[in-house]
Formats: sequence, C-alpha cells, structure tokens
Amino acid sequence: MSAARDMLCDTARAVFAEAAGAGMAPVEQAGFDLLLVAESEGGFGGDWGDVHAVLRLAGELAPDLPVAELILSGLGEAPEALHAAAAVSLMAGSMGQALALSIEHVNTRQQFGRPLGKFQAVQQSLAVMACEVAAVDAAAAALAARLDATGLDAEACDFEIAAAKLRANRAVGVVTAIAHQVHGAIGFTREYDLHRVTIPLMRRRSQHGNDALWAARLGRQVAALGGRGLWEALTARA
Amino acid sequence: MQGFALFPFDPPGDVAALRADLRAWLADHQPQGRIVGRSNCWANFNPDFSRALGAAGYIGMTLPRRYGGGERHPLERYVVIEELLAAGAPVGAHWIADRQTGPLILRYGSEEQRERYLPGIARGEVYACIGLSEPGAGSDLASVRTSARHTAEGWRINGQKIWTTGAHLSHIMLALVRTEEGSERNAGLSQLLIDLDTPGVTIRPIIDMAGNHDFNEVFFDDVLVPHGALVGERGQGWRQVTAELGLERSGPERYLSSHALLEALVDAAGSEPDPAVARLIGELTAEMWTLRQLSMSTAAKLAAGEDPMVEASVVKELGNAFEQDMPRRVQAVVDCGWDDPDDLARLLRTLLIASPSFSLRGGTREVIRGIIARGLGLR
Repeated sequence: MSAARDMLCDTARAVFAEAAGAGMAPVEQAGFDLLLVAESEGGFGGDWGDVHAVLRLAGELAPDLPVAELILSGLGEAPEALHAAAAVSLMAGSMGQALALSIEHVNTRQQFGRPLGKFQAVQQSLAVMACEVAAVDAAAAALAARLDATGLDAEACDFEIAAAKLRANRAVGVVTAIAHQVHGAIGFTREYDLHRVTIPLMRRRSQHGNDALWAARLGRQVAALGGRGLWEALTARA
Repeated sequence: MQGFALFPFDPPGDVAALRADLRAWLADHQPQGRIVGRSNCWANFNPDFSRALGAAGYIGMTLPRRYGGGERHPLERYVVIEELLAAGAPVGAHWIADRQTGPLILRYGSEEQRERYLPGIARGEVYACIGLSEPGAGSDLASVRTSARHTAEGWRINGQKIWTTGAHLSHIMLALVRTEEGSERNAGLSQLLIDLDTPGVTIRPIIDMAGNHDFNEVFFDDVLVPHGALVGERGQGWRQVTAELGLERSGPERYLSSHALLEALVDAAGSEPDPAVARLIGELTAEMWTLRQLSMSTAAKLAAGEDPMVEASVVKELGNAFEQDMPRRVQAVVDCGWDDPDDLARLLRTLLIASPSFSLRGGTREVIRGIIARGLGLR
C-alpha cells in the first residue's frame, strides 16, 4: 500500500471511530466527498483502491452511516453499479469485523473448563467463516483493480461488479449465522456490538441488487459468451 | 481486522502471447476422445500427450536450463497450467513430477539426483508418485512406520504405503520413511527417492468406486536403495514434506477440475437460457471468478518466496466446496437423465461420483480447516 493510502486510512480510522457515536458530521467535515474528485478540481484525486480501503474501514467501524453515498456524490450522478461496487467493500469490512469479534469472543469465553476456541467444532465453524471473509475481500480487491484499470467505467466492469456483489451477498448468510452461533446469547443483545455489523450485512444483501438480480444478469452475460468464451473472456480481462 | 490482501499477479513477458501459443498448440495436440476425460483431467494419464507437451517446453518450465528446464517465472507456469486445466488436457502422467517432485528435487536434492531425474521430468518422460499415506497413517501423517535402515550397502526399506495415486504408472516414488529407529511422531523421518523397478517393490491396484484404477498399495520387502537415494537432510523429512504440501494445495487444479461441466452447462443453456439455469450459471461464475483471484494471489505470494500456508488452505477449502457443489446443483436444476448419452449428462455422472474424493486428496477438509483455525489463532 502507498504512503498516501496509509495516511488516508489512518485518517479514516480515526474519523469513523468518532462517527460511530457522533453520526455523519465528522465524516462530512473530513471531506470524504472530495475523495474521488480530481486534484485539478480541488479534490483528493483518489482512485477506487482508495475508496475500497476507506469503505472497508467504514464497514468495520461505522457500517450504518451513508459514507459510500457521500464519497460517490463527488462523481455527480454515479451509476447504480458503482453503488453496488461500494457495497462490496463495506460488506468486506463488516465481515472482517464480525470475524474479529468472533475470534476474540471464543478465545476469551470459557465453557467446560476451557476457551470455546479450543473446541474443534468451534474451530471448524470459524474456519468456514474465515474462508467466506477471505473470498469477499479478494472479490472486493479484484473489483477495485478492475475499476481502476478501466477508469471507473462501470459498463466495462459489469462482469466483475456482478460477480463481486453476488459473491458478497452469498457470504452474508454464512458469516452472520456463524458469528451469531459462536457468540451465543450475548451476541443477540443490544448491548453487545455484533449486531452493529450483522444487521447492516443483512440489509446490504438486498440493497443495490440481491442474489437473484446479479445471478440472472451475470448468467445471461455468460450464456451469451458460450462455454469456451467464458474462459477466454475471464483471462482477457486479467 | 486486516483483510485478505490481494498479492498482485504480474508474470513477466507477454502473457497474452503465452496463452495464444498454448491454445494453438492444444488445438493441434489435444486428444479428441471422450468428453469425460476432460473433467478431473489431472487424474487422466496420457504419456504420449505428456511427452509432446514436454517437447514443446511446457513441463519443468521453472527448472534451470542445465537440467532441461525452461528457466521461466513460476507465474508463467501458472498461466500454462490454468490453460491446460481449463482445456481439460490429459496432464495426469507428469502432473505430480512437474508440480512438486521436480521442484523438491531441485530444492533439496543432491547434484547427482538433479542430473539423473530432472531432465526426464522436463521431457515429460519420468513420472512420480508420493509415498505418504500408510495403513496406520493417513491424515495423521506423523504416524508413518515404513522404516529405512542405514546399512553399509545402502538404505534397507520395509513397510507399506497406501492410496498412492499413479504408483503403477510412475517411475519413482518420493517416500516419507522413518530412518531413526525408535523415533516418534514427526522426528526421525526422512525422504527417499525410490526407483519403483527396484527388487522387493510390489504394487497392487485398489479399484475406486467409479471403477477406475488410480490408487495403489505399495509394499517394500527388504528393498535396498543406494545411500544417494536420501533427499535433503536425514531426519528433516517432516519439514520438507510440509513445504511440498504448500505447492500442492493452492494451485488452479483446486477449482478447475470440474470446469468442463461448467462449459457444458453454458453450452447446453444456449444464448436464451431458462431463468433458473441462468441464475445457476451466474452463481457458479461468481464463485469461480473469486476463486481464481484467490488462487492467483496465493501463487504470486509463493512466487515471491513467502509461505502462504493459510491462504493455500483457504483456496483448497473453497475450491473443493465449489467443485463438489457444482455437479449437485447442476443436477438439481437441469433436466437430464442419469443415463442420457449427451456430454452434460456424462460429465455430471462422472463428477458426482468422483467428487467425494476432492475433499480427501491433498489433505482432508477437516485437516485443512484445522490449519485455517490455527492461522486464526484458535489452537
């Protein structure tokens, strides 16, 4: 990661930590609406790799706030597909946080005389969850690379946006279910922080295209390519 | 928490030309025959094809030229093997020698071993099998009991290996054996390179549930091999095998074994697919695209000299799940009879029966999840 992005992430982390209690004001003051605006127009001149890094942190720390909408407002009328792409980064962050909370909980909480994390059944569940989180992270990062390679041309990225949002949507069920299962009753309380990421994950699965919408869109696209054409398209796109 | 960082996949040279050359070569050389041979194709032995592929420079690509290799970048090799797998080419004969035995001999082997075996491997003529599992040691590899005693004439081997894929078609076995009498668990193990035509080696077939002869029992009855058969350091077998498994787990074969079925599904669906079939194609494509990103990133990390043990396990876990899921989901959605003669039905039948083995070979699902859990800090 570049030094500029490291600094951006440090700022974002601090801003979102504050915003988690205070709402959007600190985010607006920090000027995230200028993230995608060109430097020549007084903006930050960031790329989608920057957006992904910032939104991943937002998904982790302040998943309820309209941070993506604020960032995309810098583009004027951003196409709906870019909102879907933004949702993937937010979901990656929320899932990473759900996993971090789960690991911390099972390493701390003792039952039958040892930490829950020492039980194989719990370990195997969390391994499944970690794989889903890794898949969504990889999808979001690969989509970001493709968006930057095409200059944020949503139409040129239709394949990757569909694949990444669909993959993220499909991970939501597994990730939220396992996170809540290993937490037990405490994870179901208002007091504990798990719902702060799991409810936004459930909501985002419906927003900007549910599974059926993206699956049908991607499936029709692939059918038009034909069997061998799928592989040729996949390898030509990087 | 820190996410899965995508490692940039950036092979040197003209990758598009590498793909185009190989696709043109395959158009001339890939055997046409039964469609089912294109699924699970890295279990499909075809020595004629392997020799031709070797002569064309597509085997042993990363080995030094002085051993017959191509001195190519590991990611160029990755591009070549993903093309071969996506095409369903019969790469089984040389697969293990090219993927792990060759690199391991280069890394740990003696100069004599390198000169003796690597050129033949790169020509696609010398095939290898892996001697790990035993009747009392499968997932619990440290329970290996096959012994090799150091004598004046050489190593004397007694014991038995089991589930050895391709032993009956291979020239050499890289075996994990106990060289230190009285040693326990993962101490006292060494790797020996055994010529399978040595007197005292007996290979017996085990026929699998699909009726195929892929794996074998291999018996060692007072087998004498030279002192020079030891690979690497005496007593360091465990460490060497663990390194080998990293090469084995993250490759594109973990998600492309069933690619022929996805292609057949897409072709059968036509350009105006039924809505349920279109959604299934979309879901399978999204998963495959994601797996390809994970696998390429892990390969790039390996090529950069890192040891991405956990990432490799993630690729294997997700890849196995995808490949086992695909035939079941196709069967649930597509109207096609069990005995139908068309390509889709044949592939479906073959993969439904073959796929239980996917999460057994190369480390069971439970072992792989255990490795991931350790990576999460749970064990």
